[in-house]
Amino acid sequence: MIGIIKRDLTIMFSSKQEILFMIFYVPFLILIIEFYEPKWLYFALLVFYTYILSITSFSYDVSGKSKYVLNSLPINAKEIVLYKYLSIFVYFAITIVYIGVYLWIINALKIKTVDYFNLEMMAKALPVIMISTSIVFPAYFRFEPKIAQIVHMIVFMSIFIGLTNLDSVGANSLVYNMRFLQGAKGLLLVIGLYILSLILSMKFYQNRDL
Amino acid sequence: MDYILEVNNLRKEFKNFTLDDISFNLEPGFIMGFIGPNGAGKSTTIKLIMNLLKKNGGEIKVFGKDNIKYEKEIKDRIGFVYDENYYYEDLTINQMKSIVASFYSKWDDNQFSGYIKEFDLNPKAKIKTLSKGMKMKFSLAIALSHNADLIIMDEPTSGLDPVFRREILDILYNIIQDDSKSIFFSTHITTDLEKIADYITFINKGKIVFSKPKDEVLENFVIVKGGTDLLNRDTRKEFIGLRETKVGFEGLVDNKDKVNKIFGSKVLIEKASLEDIMVYSVRG
Repeated sequence: MIGIIKRDLTIMFSSKQEILFMIFYVPFLILIIEFYEPKWLYFALLVFYTYILSITSFSYDVSGKSKYVLNSLPINAKEIVLYKYLSIFVYFAITIVYIGVYLWIINALKIKTVDYFNLEMMAKALPVIMISTSIVFPAYFRFEPKIAQIVHMIVFMSIFIGLTNLDSVGANSLVYNMRFLQGAKGLLLVIGLYILSLILSMKFYQNRDL
Repeated sequence: MDYILEVNNLRKEFKNFTLDDISFNLEPGFIMGFIGPNGAGKSTTIKLIMNLLKKNGGEIKVFGKDNIKYEKEIKDRIGFVYDENYYYEDLTINQMKSIVASFYSKWDDNQFSGYIKEFDLNPKAKIKTLSKGMKMKFSLAIALSHNADLIIMDEPTSGLDPVFRREILDILYNIIQDDSKSIFFSTHITTDLEKIADYITFINKGKIVFSKPKDEVLENFVIVKGGTDLLNRDTRKEFIGLRETKVGFEGLVDNKDKVNKIFGSKVLIEKASLEDIMVYSVRG
């Protein structure tokens, strides 16, 4: 697990492009999306960053031939899949810290009033991230990179449109009204979907030619 | 006998190519050269051994264990070198080493540092700045730094200069001085194998042509040269491959004694090199 996360983060931050993206994406989102409540900006950043971190690590493995290296190391396909699914929680924690510090600085400098720590939004963001990755991960484990990236773009745009919609219609928006994700039943539903997606991805990856 | 690598009736089907009923064994303490022309199935076989491709049939055992069931345990004892650099180009040698090292139970940092020094590599250099030879040296340093018992190499010497190729061969030769270690080495540069291999496995069009001790191969296969008047329907059948010109013929046979019996002193018999064996067998 640590090996995979360490690898993903080292690769991610070895590229100047990725670092610039990580730095400038926060102000970019603040600029383009004017949220009617500061907490929703926090929600949007949590979802975007965790999702992007989780998916970026895939692009190294599926588009390049480096997948041969990973799969030749003492680790089996089931473990690779399991670690990928568990890694989103690590990325979520990293995002909370990164976004928290970033937004705290923005607040402290009085550039804009934003939430930088909000448990309610964390609880709302995690199911959205889990549902999104439940759809995208099996696509990456099953299909060629081009097809998987189409699935990723559809999910990514849906999140983006969903959040923009949240901005414009506020309390009437889809994200705001995701009541089916709330409470114990909602939590079980999301966890169930995530586990189902995990099992499916394991089956796909174990039987796939690299 | 305990084999370090056993491949039995291995089969893999693709749209335009089939690896058909591949079988061979490698004992501990030996180097096996895996030869064949491009597209013969060498890389496919290696990818199947490493479980990068899923087989359609047959069995692969490494250290006496099924390569899929005991995948993790087996890969912990395998050092791999592939024909291309599959490492992350944006990382430095040290960063890549530290990622790979975390997966192995017996990673030896001192050994790695020793190889890096011996190969004259800068640990702070990014992988993308390395030449092909340097990348190969780096792959080799990784493969040799976790006390692997089996080194699997897919065309490690292709595109390298003779000096560095010789360096690699010397390193490999030193490795098998330890009787428990073996090397499985695919290449189409057959002269490398003539120097160090103990066994030769020849694959062509997805089928094993032979898998034998190198000395036996070099002893039995000979090049026969003579006048075209000696060739008829019956004598032609004796040749694995035959090249005819206006003045005579050159052909490969795998039974020197039989040739002597048929042609006597009318032909010239020369030792065949592995390259001759490969070329004549492929061309026919």
